[in-house]
Amino acid sequence: MKKLNVRLLRNIKNSKGQFIAIISVVITGLFIFVAMNNASTNLRTSLYEYYDITNFADMYVDVIKVPDNEITDILGKEGIINAEGRVVLDVPLITSTQDERVNVRTISVDENENQINKLYMQEGERNLGPKECIVLGQFAEARGIEVGDIMSIQLSGRQYDLNVVGIAIYPEYTYLVEDEQSFMPTPEKFGVVFIEKEYLKNITNFSQSSNDVIFKVDESVDYDKFKDFIEDEWDNYGVRRVTERENQLSNNMLHQEIEGLEQISGSVPIVFLLVAAVILASMMSKNVKNDRTTIGIFKALGYTNKSILMHYVKYALVIGIIGGVLGTVLGTILSGFMTNLYTEFFALPLLKVQIYPMNIVIAVILSSIFCSIAGLWGAKDILKISPAESMRRETPKSGHRILIEKVKFIWNKVTFSWKMVIRNIFREKKKFIFISMGAAFTVAMMIMTFWMWIVFDDMFNVHYGEFMKMDYNVTFSQPVNTDVIKDLEKITQVDTIEGNMEMPFELINGRESKVVNVIGVEKNTEMYGFRDEYGNKVPLEEGGMLLSSNLANSLNLKIGDKVLVHNYIPNKEDIYIEITGLVNQTLGINGYMDLHYMSRTLTGYNTINGVYVNTDRNIIQDLENIKNISSVKSSQDMRDVFYEYLDLMIISIIYMLIFSGILGFVIIYSMSVMSINERKMEFSSLRVLGFGKNEIFGIILKENALMSIIGIIYGIPLGYIFVDYLGRMFTTDLYTLNLPVGVSQVVLSIVFTIICLTGAQLATYRKISRLDFIEALKSRTT
Amino acid sequence: MSKHYQMGEITVKALREANFEIYKGEFIVVLGPSGSGKSTLLNILGGMDTPTEGRVFFEDKEITNLSEKELTLYRRNEVGFIFQFYNLMGNLTARENVELAVEICEDTMDIDEVLDSVGLLERADHFPSQMSGGEQQRVAIARAAAKNPKVLLCDEPTGALDYETGISILKVLKKINKEYNRTVAVITHNASIGEIADRVIKMRSGKITEYYKNDNPLDPERIEW
Repeated sequence: MKKLNVRLLRNIKNSKGQFIAIISVVITGLFIFVAMNNASTNLRTSLYEYYDITNFADMYVDVIKVPDNEITDILGKEGIINAEGRVVLDVPLITSTQDERVNVRTISVDENENQINKLYMQEGERNLGPKECIVLGQFAEARGIEVGDIMSIQLSGRQYDLNVVGIAIYPEYTYLVEDEQSFMPTPEKFGVVFIEKEYLKNITNFSQSSNDVIFKVDESVDYDKFKDFIEDEWDNYGVRRVTERENQLSNNMLHQEIEGLEQISGSVPIVFLLVAAVILASMMSKNVKNDRTTIGIFKALGYTNKSILMHYVKYALVIGIIGGVLGTVLGTILSGFMTNLYTEFFALPLLKVQIYPMNIVIAVILSSIFCSIAGLWGAKDILKISPAESMRRETPKSGHRILIEKVKFIWNKVTFSWKMVIRNIFREKKKFIFISMGAAFTVAMMIMTFWMWIVFDDMFNVHYGEFMKMDYNVTFSQPVNTDVIKDLEKITQVDTIEGNMEMPFELINGRESKVVNVIGVEKNTEMYGFRDEYGNKVPLEEGGMLLSSNLANSLNLKIGDKVLVHNYIPNKEDIYIEITGLVNQTLGINGYMDLHYMSRTLTGYNTINGVYVNTDRNIIQDLENIKNISSVKSSQDMRDVFYEYLDLMIISIIYMLIFSGILGFVIIYSMSVMSINERKMEFSSLRVLGFGKNEIFGIILKENALMSIIGIIYGIPLGYIFVDYLGRMFTTDLYTLNLPVGVSQVVLSIVFTIICLTGAQLATYRKISRLDFIEALKSRTT
Repeated sequence: MSKHYQMGEITVKALREANFEIYKGEFIVVLGPSGSGKSTLLNILGGMDTPTEGRVFFEDKEITNLSEKELTLYRRNEVGFIFQFYNLMGNLTARENVELAVEICEDTMDIDEVLDSVGLLERADHFPSQMSGGEQQRVAIARAAAKNPKVLLCDEPTGALDYETGISILKVLKKINKEYNRTVAVITHNASIGEIADRVIKMRSGKITEYYKNDNPLDPERIEW
């Protein structure tokens, strides 16, 4: 082996702590990159493969009732390749537990194989007869339903017992949520069952007609044109909603998750690699400075600038390669687990999991190039070293008084060792910037992490406590007369009960439009706490509409504007309604109207399709046998969902804490070790003067502590900026993250940062205690 | 040749119109107190530095107009350096230190032979930190000589050593000079060393004050300081 390489290996061995520290940052960066990138690629390819196999629909039309011959009539028009009419109804499941309310969505399917949105069988038979059903995998698993079981559902007040002949997963419910308002899947409370088409149509009054149509269309078909076409063609049948594949709820959620993964895999690793690059560059620059004489000797021996430069850059290259290889290998292993976790979570068959050797090669090459450039940047001063010059002792740095020294009454009170510390900090500005930034970054990341911890908790508490104040939300399967309220009041014996009307409408403002549920509630409702962003109460005016501020933003609307409400109910005209207020809603987007005004202008009859109930009693049992009730949700149910979700959150929070900790640790450790190496002579001289090991350690400790404290101080506003950015990034239609950072999170972050930095500092103590000061003073070996 | 340095606002005249010749196979001693310009002289001869004015020839070739790359090749193939503080690579063994220099040159000497001639064959696998100052300096000599250069340039090679060790180092240098017919230039402030030289250059304040041939060079063992 070339002797320069032998020297390199021994140098690595001698500085293994630092070497491992930087490698761990590179590993972490690539680990996140590869794990998430592979997981998202696997997820994406599996999903597309699955969609291909099951012939996933391109368009979804929700309609009140359309005759089946109308469906066949439009085939071939407007790029329509294939269409399938279905009956989709939400009905209660009859369970053995009295106080449990479970909804199932019954979907009609062909007797054998349907053309669009095919079932992907997991167990049992695909062939369906009357009184038989196939159950969605997630639901079956959550409720322990097996092939051969009998499932009872309630349809129009009648009980139907269905024999479970198979269990399947379904592309439309890969992510199983009931509607846009549901935040997380609750497979034990909501499921899907597939029933033979003719049988379901016969028992539900949908003979020769459907209430849901799915389409396969030509690739060139434009959504807007398709929507206009369907609305025109089926004007008389009450087209409620036309959804393109891209916005199909489950598909949309999946894509959001995949994009989220891609976003993280594209940004977080950059931070780690940049930190590694900065540490490497400054380490190289310090090494070159310390090795000035050695480099002079290399030159005196006849080594070229290029070969000396390469010798130093190789150190960085080795870090790039080892870090790259370990990072990608670990990342690939983790991506396997992650993909499994995701496919289980999303009920997606694991169709395309593979290792992407090209990705690994690219990651290793990129990390090697990244590290080499950093090394080259740091070591570039090698070119400037003149061999003759390097043999002479370096002239001492020009000392000068720092500004604080001019304030005599303060400076005179500073002890000698602190004077040294303060002067050193101000003379080594680069080091000061780097260490303080390390601390700042760590504390900022921690603030962000702790904030995330509480923001979701808060979001749910605010939404289900302060915004939606009802204890139960009861929905009917079809609109009913307001008299029902009185009947329910008698049955349930509750104090407060209010009727409501929740219906989807398309809100249009110029080019912007959105389909949302508009909710009609009593004018002086006790069930909602409408407040604006400053916390002031917002009244529900009779002649207008309140919008959640997120919705107003996406539609570009402000108070006083008029929004065009497109009505899906047949024979109902679209009308303009004034926006009379904007309300803060942390979860979901909606419009709110006075129930009576809504009846007059939009829904047209004095009806409701749900009630809100406030009571301490458990009313589920009371409502069990009432016809027309499609679901009863307690606010407690929703909170429970959240606690499951929080468990997932905690895992990622722990990861983030570890990653932020690693960064802080590595920065402080590397910089301290560099500082010790560079100042061997100085510390040795101090030892000769009678300073003890602890006193020297104290000097470094004080320097780093002072720099870190300054970093922590400016890291706090940086943390606020991170939180603000994260809040903006994650604020979607579904939820709004705008909780201010609390004092407790800042304090926790500071404590955690100090623990990490102290750990790094203690790790450098060994270096000081092993410093052979006599040798350092007399030695000229390099 | 002359060499001027700019140190802040002050111009240091390290060498002032030095003019001399060194002949093949000679043992030269450059004598002078510290600050007299002898290290600057040596650095220029070795292609490590360039004069501000004047020209330097190695054999028939002018080295003062060589490019950076040509100077590197000159240092690699024609010159061997020995420093006062040995300047060995601390994490390479004695043999590896020699190999470090040899592996970039073409027509080199046998490493074992050189180590043997400096009396270090037995300790070839020791690291510098396990060796005495004299041993380290002998490694440095072996490192310079093994490249098989035409000239060995030694900057205060005995400066950091005690008398006995210093003499032994001079003996090694003399041996290489005689046995391998290498030109050796030693710079020192120790006037006694001048007595072993074939030719002596005396310097003060950047100027050559004396330049003479020594017709009766002494054996290193016969000098004292």
